[in-house]
Amino acid sequence: MSVSGTHRDGAAAIARGAVASTRYPAAARKPARFSLAAALIYAAFALLIAVPLLLVLAQAVVPGLFDVTAPSLAPSLQPLLRAFSSSTILVSVLHSLELAAMAAASATALGAGFAFLVQRCDLPGRRVLAALPWLVFLTPSYLKALAWVLLMSPGGYLTQLGVISSGFAHGFFSLPGLIFVQTLNLFPLAAFVIGSALAGLGSEYEDAARLAGARPRTVWLRINLPLLAPAIALSLIAIFAEGLSDFGMAATIARNARFDLLTYGIYAAASDYPVDFPLAGAQALILLCLVVAVVLADRMLRRQTDPKLISGRSRPARRTRLGLWRLPATAALILVAILALGLPLAGIAVRAVTRTLGAGLSAENFTAAQLAAALSPETLAGSAFAHSLFYAVIAAFLACAAAILLSAELDRAKRVMKPLILAISLGAVAIPGVVLGFGYILLWNRLPGFRDAPFPDYGSPSLLVMGYAAAALPYCLIIILAAIGQLAPSLGDAARLQGAESFRRLVRITLPLIFLSIVTAFLLTFIRTVFELPISQLLIPTSGTPAPPVVIRLFNHDGDGLASALSLVSMLATGGAAGAIWAMAKRIAPRRVSATGADA
Amino acid sequence: MTAALQCRAVSKTLGGRTVLDGLDLDIAAGEVVSLLGASGSGKTTLLRIVAGLHDPDRGEITLDGRTVWSAGAAVPPERRRIGMVFQDYALWPHMTVAQNLSFGLKAQGVAAAEIAQRLDHALEVTRLGGLSARYPAELSGGQQQRVAIARCLAARPALMLFDEPLSNLDAALREDMRVEMMALVHREGITALYVTHDQAEAMAVSDRIAIMRQGVIAQFDTPQRIYDAPADSFVAGFIGGFSLLPVSVAGGRFRIAADDGPPLATDSPLSGSGMLVVRPEDARPAELHPGNRLAGVVQARAFQGRCWRLAVGLGPHRIRLDWPEGPPVGAAIAFSLPPERCTILPG
Repeated sequence: MSVSGTHRDGAAAIARGAVASTRYPAAARKPARFSLAAALIYAAFALLIAVPLLLVLAQAVVPGLFDVTAPSLAPSLQPLLRAFSSSTILVSVLHSLELAAMAAASATALGAGFAFLVQRCDLPGRRVLAALPWLVFLTPSYLKALAWVLLMSPGGYLTQLGVISSGFAHGFFSLPGLIFVQTLNLFPLAAFVIGSALAGLGSEYEDAARLAGARPRTVWLRINLPLLAPAIALSLIAIFAEGLSDFGMAATIARNARFDLLTYGIYAAASDYPVDFPLAGAQALILLCLVVAVVLADRMLRRQTDPKLISGRSRPARRTRLGLWRLPATAALILVAILALGLPLAGIAVRAVTRTLGAGLSAENFTAAQLAAALSPETLAGSAFAHSLFYAVIAAFLACAAAILLSAELDRAKRVMKPLILAISLGAVAIPGVVLGFGYILLWNRLPGFRDAPFPDYGSPSLLVMGYAAAALPYCLIIILAAIGQLAPSLGDAARLQGAESFRRLVRITLPLIFLSIVTAFLLTFIRTVFELPISQLLIPTSGTPAPPVVIRLFNHDGDGLASALSLVSMLATGGAAGAIWAMAKRIAPRRVSATGADA
Repeated sequence: MTAALQCRAVSKTLGGRTVLDGLDLDIAAGEVVSLLGASGSGKTTLLRIVAGLHDPDRGEITLDGRTVWSAGAAVPPERRRIGMVFQDYALWPHMTVAQNLSFGLKAQGVAAAEIAQRLDHALEVTRLGGLSARYPAELSGGQQQRVAIARCLAARPALMLFDEPLSNLDAALREDMRVEMMALVHREGITALYVTHDQAEAMAVSDRIAIMRQGVIAQFDTPQRIYDAPADSFVAGFIGGFSLLPVSVAGGRFRIAADDGPPLATDSPLSGSGMLVVRPEDARPAELHPGNRLAGVVQARAFQGRCWRLAVGLGPHRIRLDWPEGPPVGAAIAFSLPPERCTILPG
């Protein structure tokens, strides 16, 4: 149907007179179907994450792929059969599943209780306690594990203080002890997941149930618990996957307990002489299959949960009055804080300033020599500390810059690339660092064409930093995409209609509005990288060793004092730097008012 | 600076559903046109296609005869010189009012002196003079709305688009803002395309209204013509308050389905089955048009100030009437319809 316009006199006609002088836009362009910049960004993403993983999978089923003497492309199930017929590997698979499952259950229970008490009850000091999961989360798992070795070993601090008997100490280094340590290590994940569900679960449902005559117990059993069930399931899944992928425990306390885990098996096959890449590939394939199965289950669960049902718009819930239970509940939370953070940190701090573990807390045992060594650039420990800080800063810059570029590009390409990259990123979060590190060895040390590339060079810090950045990229991407997702799309549309090209929109509209999220991604990457263990171990450069492998090596070779000093110095420096950067970022951040439109 | 808009055979499919189906629309320079339709009728999609935020599958869009989109070429939105007032205003929260206004001008490389002059003008006509250093969050809803308009004005667009701009304001403010906004649009002589689902708002703001149905325009006419002569029963059903009754009509007489009274008079030349349009204000006292008398039962009543709005049952049918009194529910009521107001639509 075609309708011609009516003619209007007055203002419109006068205004129309001005049309002739209007500067009109440049020639129309063809709609873009392909852009070189986009192709480069996607290629970089593939090279950083997708290709190394594919090589690991290929190695598992094409054992001769990277054979130095007689390379072959013949596919074979032989490495997998070898893995499944090896009792050591089968036991390590069972151990990994056992530990991850038990820790998932206990950490979810602990995290759920923690979240409930902190968010929904009238506890004193709630705000301080709410920071605990974050601090525990940011403390690397291998340091917590090493601290428990110092505390619980038969000659350790807790036996010395008479808190536990030496028989108990011996028994600690077995499955129950590992579950205990892993629970305290991973309960923050449950506290985050269930805590945010609790925060989104407004009081409306509860109020409605109470007005309908339900008692508090019934309200929790029949209303809140079913609504929280998806979050509880997600927490179980996330902790299970994290437990399977964890290398920090596997390389430390689990080895002390002679409790073989799958992640350590991959590391050993890929780096201990004689290396057995096909076997490492087969174990990595088994681990990846387990993790992927878990991630798929997670995806399906998320699809089932209706995001609208539990929304962020609900009214804040009222707090439960604990009455007589207030004191015991507070005591329990303080106990959790002591066990999860206070004791391990104290153990490391004390060991850092004492000569020997056996001499304990006696006055003459104290020394500042180890701290001085850790801070001196001449010693191995001191230089490792400096290297790690330096690598971490570069890796954090790289990962954030890559994540910003990628998310800006994804914002434009909605059709195919966005779900694909998102799926890879969400998957990559669950990919164990030890598998990614192994993939980097295959790509940059074995694959023709890449093997001899001048940059990044296998055995040099460039590859290590690249591995760090790749491991952090999925996290950064998720944080930044989530922040962009919070922005009303109309903000960018309005800028386009005002004539701003994509680069100006990114710099002037998007980046200022997500500034604090970028800083968060940067700091998380920085902290994680200073303490990153599996990739550091696998891609350890010939010169410029980072701190984590040095800590592990010192610990395994009677250098636990210096290892503790190095860890303490690293933690203080990293925490201090991160805190200072965050405080500065808060100050210079653009006014952060409502970015979801312009609500008054 | 203002331009005529032409959309030719614009089609768009989203997720397998045809949202726009070969739609044509012509708007003269300086004209204010509303797109009125239910959600899913394609009005917002059309608006975003005109802006360049979506690409159509087929068709052509021209501004003053220059093609901004066709199958072979597209001017990106940042170079179309089209302004848009968003439903959520889309004010950049990290910029002051003045920065919000000058951002686009700087992006286009407008000289500083000219920017200052355009800002002054835009702030003055929107009565925002003292607020240029404020941030959006420090403004009331009505003020934010005015900043969104000022931002468009300062850019001197060839065409201004309004995407349900009043839906975030409370009822009392809505009418004031509407009057103020449209006075400004008319005074500045801007061509405007205005999306709304509120027929009263569409009637109040537009020179012409395009009523959209399933991706095409069902009727495109002035508000008065649409009110007096809706093109079909869909359009009539969309105008709030109209009641539609199935009738059979022949030779200027019609009979309401399932009503056994004598046939009533109409000016309609139709014959066959049709739909009678009853506008609430058409009801007259029974004795005024004795030949067109109807009797029913009051089913509900609501006091509306200058009259009562009644829901009256006529056999199986129910119609809405404005009536000077409010008889109690269940009371019998008789009224008449002037033959010249008895519009009958086919089908």
